[in-house]
Amino acid sequence: MKKINILFGGEAGQGPNILTHILGESLVKQGYYIFYSRDYQSLIRGGHNFNVLTISDEPVYSNEKKIDMIIALDENTIKIHEKNLGKNGIILRGKDKNMYFAGRMFKILGLDFKILEKELKELKKRFDENLKEARKGYENAEKQFKLDAPLRKKSAKFENGNQAIAKGAIQSGLDLYYAYPMTPATSVLRELAEKQTEKNFLTFELENEIAVINAAIGSAITGARAMVGTSGGGFDLMAESLSLAGMINIPLVIFLSQRPGPATGVPTYTAQGDLNTARCTGHGEFPRLLVAPGDLNESEELTNQAFYFAEKYKIPSIIINDKHLGESYYTETEDSKMIKIKKSTPLARHSGNETDENTASSCKQEIVEKRVKERMEKMEEIRKESKKFKTYKIYGNAESRNLIVFWGSTKGAILDSIKDLDCKALQILYLKPFPVKVKNELKKASNLILIENNETGQLGDLIAEKTGVFFKETNKILKYNGRPFLSDELKKEIEKRLE
Amino acid sequence: MNISTKTKSTWCPGCYNFQILAGVKRVLNEKIKSEKDRQKWMIVSGIGCHGKIFDYLNLNGIHTLHGRVLPTCLGMKIGNPNLNVIGFSGDGDAYAEGMEHLIHAARYNSNFKYIVHNNQVFALTVGQPTPTTEIGFKDKTTPLGVKIPPLNPIRLMLASGASFVARVFSDIKQIEFVLKEALKHKGFAFIEVLQPCLIFHPDIRYKKAFYSLEESGHDKSSFEQAWKKAQEFDYNTIEKIPLGIFYQTKKPVFEEHFEQLKKLKAKNIGWRDVKR
Repeated sequence: MKKINILFGGEAGQGPNILTHILGESLVKQGYYIFYSRDYQSLIRGGHNFNVLTISDEPVYSNEKKIDMIIALDENTIKIHEKNLGKNGIILRGKDKNMYFAGRMFKILGLDFKILEKELKELKKRFDENLKEARKGYENAEKQFKLDAPLRKKSAKFENGNQAIAKGAIQSGLDLYYAYPMTPATSVLRELAEKQTEKNFLTFELENEIAVINAAIGSAITGARAMVGTSGGGFDLMAESLSLAGMINIPLVIFLSQRPGPATGVPTYTAQGDLNTARCTGHGEFPRLLVAPGDLNESEELTNQAFYFAEKYKIPSIIINDKHLGESYYTETEDSKMIKIKKSTPLARHSGNETDENTASSCKQEIVEKRVKERMEKMEEIRKESKKFKTYKIYGNAESRNLIVFWGSTKGAILDSIKDLDCKALQILYLKPFPVKVKNELKKASNLILIENNETGQLGDLIAEKTGVFFKETNKILKYNGRPFLSDELKKEIEKRLE
Repeated sequence: MNISTKTKSTWCPGCYNFQILAGVKRVLNEKIKSEKDRQKWMIVSGIGCHGKIFDYLNLNGIHTLHGRVLPTCLGMKIGNPNLNVIGFSGDGDAYAEGMEHLIHAARYNSNFKYIVHNNQVFALTVGQPTPTTEIGFKDKTTPLGVKIPPLNPIRLMLASGASFVARVFSDIKQIEFVLKEALKHKGFAFIEVLQPCLIFHPDIRYKKAFYSLEESGHDKSSFEQAWKKAQEFDYNTIEKIPLGIFYQTKKPVFEEHFEQLKKLKAKNIGWRDVKR
């Protein structure tokens, strides 16, 4: 079956999200694969927001540029998106109530009304009114698409990346989550805040990110399992304390959700511009872990591994994602693999100063050297132990001479676009410690292509630093307009560069 | 149980920090009789001369970054509400680098105690003016003299909703008295200690202006009286300087707002002991 892309657009507050979610959730239950992303502005009412939902009968992790149906809650949506409407594309327009659209949409897609009725029941809000509207819409439309019967029998999760981060944290035994609101990290706070009573942990918002990370350090000293979450600007504010966390012997997990910068940048859009800052921020030299998930299960598993390494080696672990992965909804049929982590931080004396055997400040050269060595030896141990986990992954045609290299949220569009192409793809999950073994993979390929959502190719630079392998400038596919890659568009860019 | 350390002090000879340390030790020595008791106490100090107190008290905790004592103390109380936590800061720590935390600490009213060693100067960086240095003070970085009037921390704390506000001189007995009262108090206790710096801010003329709030019939439960008393010393001109407890009131304690923390308190455990 050909993928179907549906765009839901309107002003903020008109409710395209609920329409998108109802359709997505009901189709996943029917056995289809759904991916949807959200494009919204930094305002509360008005403006132009839209979601794109892609339907497929096989796994799908991204949207396409080509749109098959536009659901326009305002005229502006049509003006902006009509140019991407494919042949035989459909526009549903009007200012009617949301559920009227839902009804029409279900009919056009040839879906049974009962499926919609069930979803409306689960909404637990204004059921009678919604049902009436939906039925009216269903009766006022014609079936125009034919969805093939779905092949999938296995049940599936339908979640966004930030929900998976929250889930990973809870399953890792989270005790305390501290944050200051900042898009796109806030939805993890929201998700955790909602579950804190049921799962017996605590979330709290403090006066700023500096207070956030220092409160987490205070809690970690008492042996609690603490985590903080923020985006680039807040992470910068945490930098000095990150260095403190790297110096003392406590576990700390930091969730960093990227958006386009510098400064305030484009606060509600997506980018991969903070790899360097996540890897290098903080004065002095100290150990840290940096992991980057690219889908739902990796979000859960790498969060779990971040907690594991933080607790075992008493270091700061950073999980980096971005708005696109964090706020897009994915269909996942497999279970994540999680490990149990015991709490093991004893009450002790800590210091931001180098200290002697009596834990008193010391500037003796032998002491300074000893402490530096002790800290950096942790990094060596972590490097060795990280081999137990998947620090990188390979996809596509294992024999191909063409190798695409990427990290994080670009995974979806890349996997979708290389399906019929002669290429192999390499995803780096551990950015620190870096799996230098990937050098073999890089050497085997004769044509290297780098794909990143930034302007400078930060992963490319990191690979060059760690392996001595460079990417040709013309083989860097870089997108930095705040938007994620679309698979049909990306496929063309890759094809141009294949050998 | 000895809570002293073997570490040789690096404070200047005769430094008033010794008075603060001795006063704190007197109080804690009464409370800490065994290793088990010792494990129930946490200290946090910041950056500056005061911060060295961490090296001279054999208690768990952290000698942390400049200005971050308060959120660290809060994090410890959230991590385990059964721990007794005392924070130490200098005037640079409390009123400059970490000012935002001070206001919010008063709002949160978490049950830990906070001692500010106010010597009205950045001493460990060799003598620059802080937010409580008087007008006209000169040093090599401020050869034209301080122009901006100092901050009044007592008024700031009263306005921010602190439930315990005190100021004493760096004298063993005064420290002992006020810390004992603070430990009895349920909630955040703000204690400022006026402390001359013998090297960079040695002026002790203000000693003549001291008088005791406790002995002068001050009603510490009256916010209005406290507010008036707080204005008597503006940290700039020396006329009358009241010392003692300005204000004490009952307010809901941070840890009691959350069921999760109340459970820990009731079981006498921290999150560390929560099995999952």
